[in-house]
Amino acid sequence: MTDHDTQSALSFRAIRQSFPGLAGEPPLPVLNDISFEVPRGKFVSVIGPSGCGKSTLLQMAAGLLKQTAGQVFHNGILVSDVNRTIGFVPQQAQLLPWKTMIENVEFPLLLRGVKAAERRARAQQAVDKVDLTGFEGHYPYQLSGGMQKRASIARMLVYKPDTILMDEPFGALDAQTRMVMQHDLQTMLAAEGASVLFVTHDITEAVMLSDSVVVMSRRPARILAEVPIDLPRPRDMFEPHAIPGFAEAYDRVWSVFRSELKVRRAA
Amino acid sequence: MTDQLATRPAEHRSLRQLWAPLGRGLMLAAPGIIMLCGWQYASGRLIRESYVSKPTDIAKRLYELFATGEIWPSLAVTGKELVLSYVIGVTLGLLLGYALGRAPRAARIVEPYVMAFYGIPKIALAPLFVIWFGIGIWSKVMLAGTMVFFLVFYNVYAGVRSIDREVVNLAMVLGANERQLGRHIYLPAAAPFLLLGMRMAIPYAVIGVIVGEFTSSIAGLGLFINYASSTYDPASVFAGIFILLAFVMVMNALATRLERRLLRWRPSMQGVPPEAS
Repeated sequence: MTDHDTQSALSFRAIRQSFPGLAGEPPLPVLNDISFEVPRGKFVSVIGPSGCGKSTLLQMAAGLLKQTAGQVFHNGILVSDVNRTIGFVPQQAQLLPWKTMIENVEFPLLLRGVKAAERRARAQQAVDKVDLTGFEGHYPYQLSGGMQKRASIARMLVYKPDTILMDEPFGALDAQTRMVMQHDLQTMLAAEGASVLFVTHDITEAVMLSDSVVVMSRRPARILAEVPIDLPRPRDMFEPHAIPGFAEAYDRVWSVFRSELKVRRAA
Repeated sequence: MTDQLATRPAEHRSLRQLWAPLGRGLMLAAPGIIMLCGWQYASGRLIRESYVSKPTDIAKRLYELFATGEIWPSLAVTGKELVLSYVIGVTLGLLLGYALGRAPRAARIVEPYVMAFYGIPKIALAPLFVIWFGIGIWSKVMLAGTMVFFLVFYNVYAGVRSIDREVVNLAMVLGANERQLGRHIYLPAAAPFLLLGMRMAIPYAVIGVIVGEFTSSIAGLGLFINYASSTYDPASVFAGIFILLAFVMVMNALATRLERRLLRWRPSMQGVPPEAS
């Protein structure tokens, strides 16, 4: 184990991934030699065009998908099976519809055999933290999209994972809700001190939330650049353009990213 | 709307609450009442009474059957057959449907066979079942039980298979082991399918049991109906049929209750969601 390993919450080493092609066609290469680190306590975003395999990286870190080649380390330990020590916030909230909101938040603790009283107390804390107090007994269908998302974040916070994977968690929300969620996420993370790997295709979101942005190319994807974002925190999520240095940071990411989009210029 | 109601004086509200279900009940009963009246009128006037009997005679016969206690032994036998076949069919259907749903590889081998057996008209097996399981209750229990089994099996199997892989994956990352996946993910997700199968199976249990009794038996409601029809006693035939009808309706109402209770997490089972902010 090198010193390098122990400093990183997540470490991707020479990852390759290809998916079996349709009948008679060769396998489809998706990821091509991806290597990067998520340093402990840092927030790293991965952006890239849709279909470039960003989410696949999260699947690997969660141990849900075996990469064709390469290795993923979580706190220096090789991920080889379902990773039950990591936090995961999926694209859709994926609350269990047959459990009430607080039962959903309690679920990871229930699975870990935590006693009922302690479970309820810890879940309540998490629910309060995401501002859902008063909706404990509601079933998911009775909650709005933003509330479901908050509940799914509470469900992840409740077992205090040191590393969190987030797969375009705010993609399905309207613009206002989204800014509020980004703001709250920043506040919560500042308190938790967790490391985050965040997948998005929204450059503003990536720049505003991250300490570092990994830009991926189109399929078969490789890393085009890793752009460090050193804007001071806390950042005002509601007015990104008022933050000194935001425009420059955005530009650095965009100048790499644009090469991957076929943008037709006005003549 | 609730505000409006709340500001009204108490008597008005209670009167309203009293009348509303009564009105709904009347609306529901009206077609049935019209049918019975039409039947009563037509019998002896448009159609020979010995073919269709008439509602008043049937009601009289029903009263006699229960008052003299004549029907109880038949009811007891048929009731026992129904309960046994239903419980056995549902239990086995649930167990096998769940097991095959969780084991797709085994399911690929077993499913065509199950499908083939499912395709056999079970009614055609009735005489065979009498040879195998005797003239007593077990030939009927097996016949009806087989029908119940297939309905429940297919529904549970489909229910377990329909579960979103992503939900299962997420539950695993959240910490679930195989046993916990079953208890907290697969079973609750299959519950609506199980209940649907259980509800669909109610009339089939009745069909299986009655056909079994028609085929060959020493007691039961099916025998009672069969005997009545071969002795030109339409009032008794219809009396027997009405008892079956009542049974199916009561069972169906119980199933609906169970469904409401177990599936209260589903949007369709309750009113509109509150205004979410």
